[in-house]
Amino acid sequence: MTTNTLFIRILAFGAIVAIIAGLFWSQNPAFLSTGNIRALMRHMSVNGVAALGLTFVIVVRHFDLSFPGVASFGAMTMGWLIAGGQPLWMAISGGLAVGLLFGIFNGIAVARFKLPDIVTTIATGGLAIGFSYFYSNGTSISRNFFMSGLLDINDGRFLGLDRPFAILLGAALIGILILNASRFGRAFYATGENETAAWYSGVPVNAMVVAAFALCGLCACLSVVLLVASSGAANVSAGTQLLMPAFAAVYLGAALFGRPSVLATLAGTMLMSLMLNGFTLLAIPYYYSDAIVSTVLILAITCFDPRISGALRRLIPARKEKLA
Amino acid sequence: MGAESFLAMRGIDKRFGDVRALNDVDFELEAGEIHALLGVNGAGKSTLIKILSGVYSKDAGSIRIDGEEFALGSPRAAIEAGIAVVQQHPELVGDLTGAENIFLGQEHRRSGLFSPVNGQDIRRRAAALLERFPIDVDLDRAVDDMPAVDREIVAILHALRLENARILILDEPTSTLTEREKESLFEMMQTLKAQGLAIIYITHHLDEVFEIADRFTVFRGGRRVATHGVAEAQREGISIPNLMLDSVAGDIFPPRSDRVDGEVVFEARDLSRQGEFEDVSFSARKGEILGIFGLVGSGVDELSKALFGVLRPDSGELHLNGRRVRFRSPAQALKAGIFLVPGDRRTEGLSMDENVIFNTTVANLGRASLGGFMRFGRNRRDSGALAERVDLQPRKLDRPLRGYSGGNQQKVVIAKGLYREADVYIFVEPTVGVDIGARAKIYTLMRELSDRAAVIVISSDCDEVFGVADRTVALYKGAPIGAPSREITRDHLLHAGIMGEAV
Repeated sequence: MTTNTLFIRILAFGAIVAIIAGLFWSQNPAFLSTGNIRALMRHMSVNGVAALGLTFVIVVRHFDLSFPGVASFGAMTMGWLIAGGQPLWMAISGGLAVGLLFGIFNGIAVARFKLPDIVTTIATGGLAIGFSYFYSNGTSISRNFFMSGLLDINDGRFLGLDRPFAILLGAALIGILILNASRFGRAFYATGENETAAWYSGVPVNAMVVAAFALCGLCACLSVVLLVASSGAANVSAGTQLLMPAFAAVYLGAALFGRPSVLATLAGTMLMSLMLNGFTLLAIPYYYSDAIVSTVLILAITCFDPRISGALRRLIPARKEKLA
Repeated sequence: MGAESFLAMRGIDKRFGDVRALNDVDFELEAGEIHALLGVNGAGKSTLIKILSGVYSKDAGSIRIDGEEFALGSPRAAIEAGIAVVQQHPELVGDLTGAENIFLGQEHRRSGLFSPVNGQDIRRRAAALLERFPIDVDLDRAVDDMPAVDREIVAILHALRLENARILILDEPTSTLTEREKESLFEMMQTLKAQGLAIIYITHHLDEVFEIADRFTVFRGGRRVATHGVAEAQREGISIPNLMLDSVAGDIFPPRSDRVDGEVVFEARDLSRQGEFEDVSFSARKGEILGIFGLVGSGVDELSKALFGVLRPDSGELHLNGRRVRFRSPAQALKAGIFLVPGDRRTEGLSMDENVIFNTTVANLGRASLGGFMRFGRNRRDSGALAERVDLQPRKLDRPLRGYSGGNQQKVVIAKGLYREADVYIFVEPTVGVDIGARAKIYTLMRELSDRAAVIVISSDCDEVFGVADRTVALYKGAPIGAPSREITRDHLLHAGIMGEAV
């Protein structure tokens, strides 16, 4: 993508944000209040971190449906460690380790053993949910949470930003460095674009797929840490709400920016959160939000699909058509 | 106006934006004729075909078939006018039989959601079709189990399944066929011709023209340059390459090397792989090009992959710069200093949706980055310089590879190899689907590379191997016929590769 088209796409994204924000603001001026914007950024943080990890899996053209289950297991592991009196850093590391291990497991199954990604990750996700019941037979854990300092992750501030949002920005920055500025990023894209050609070019394609799944698991568990910090309790269904918004954010971003990338995912997350937050303010019942997210997901997939975008392009007369 | 041709296209114009793809083109075709369309990529032959098949609509001109005027604004109108098209890579359903593929979408004579598919009826109609066009092919086999030529025949029968088909268009039908399969396809074309069909035939292989066509038309820069009878062209010694190229091309191959004492860089000793190739030995030197000729299925493809770590040989040794090497992956071969220009650039060589810079640098990310981070400015400059060196047309570094012609895609693969700075370059089928202008450039680049690296060219095109390489050897059914030598003539090489006859 040239800098020029990137600039145009960012402008277009800004315009969409302005229109949506303007619409909600005209219905309810509280939409642009400081309080609401902070709530919005907080909401973005949880979904954004999960979507960030998923971006890598989508870039290598695979699917991970296990990360919600893995996140639940991570949440319960962390909760169990806190309740057992472990220091906070240890508890968080334990939660993240769960994500990393499941991700690596998924990646090896898919890359090395060529198992079908969708079915495999549904199964590992189910497995992770099963494991998450072990600690407390399925009851939620909140013992020691207040004393552990976990809640400060949600309430604290960093450089004037709410801490969850600062964590999202930090994770996104690392993501941009890896995926869009480093040689590993090239290898991720090359693997997804044409695995055979990438292998012939010396790219360790299996390792890239494993790394993508590992990052996805890790990010899912990081996002659930933020979620648990805001709710104050770990429960076995903590991760389930991550699935749809993460996929919607990645695909919406890819539709806006022409391909999946960290920046695109951030943009997608922001649009999703804008809409969900706006509908909440308009007092549209929460149970519609799943339907709204799903609708956006379908629209985004439609735009991202080369056949559809190709058909749209064909509607514009053959002016720029390549000479055969 | 006298006897008009069966198909008469007059004054056809077609513009795409500022580019005039067809400029006042006349084209005539007779019934019972095989007419070859020739021209480098972008010359206008594909545009003409697409107008005839209704994919593009013409800007000006008239099309008359058998004296009747047709507008041909859509594929449907073209089919109704009796024009049958076989695409370059026909899409067939692998699990279905040949007959089922031919009548795909027309299984029923009566329409209705619940009318069952009648296998017997389809077989009967297939038999009737074979009666009209007597061709030796088993249409009860699944397409996946068929050899490439039978798949091509199924695609042609699919195009001809309508009773009214009277003009058949074949777009590079031989590109995936072996020499022997080509012969069966040509037999079929003769049969169809005898039935009175008019056949338009696009090809890059000029030798095929003399073998099968009655007449040929050459396009250049959107204009029709010449139409000649094949017999007439042979009699008068008309040079088709000269017609196709703007300047008089002369020989497209660079001069041979007279260096014979270059140091041995890469050596194979008794390399074997069960059922694919056996006891292959050669040494590749700096300063010369080693050529290996073998038909599809002769083991050359597997051999090239074994040299690059894609496949592992069962026995034998590889030596690089005097040291024994074993590759377990292409990554190891690359690291050791070997670069493969693969035979199938679309699936093995390029990321088609990525741009020139991405593809040029991807095989050497270490050079393209510093401390793990991409050096964007430098990579752009390096890619630009390499694009200039390989004469990429157009030189648009941000354009995805999909937007380039076959010849220019291949130039990007070579730029990728140059960026890798390897010691050994292996070219497999380097000019399949590449027009003649780009071919000459690619051969020149191979010659330039041989100055500082060992270059091996592996191809099923005998003239290519003979023309570009200094020392040649043929592989026949997996076995090398003799040792690589400078003394082998073109005819000997051809005989060795096709019939396994030693000199």
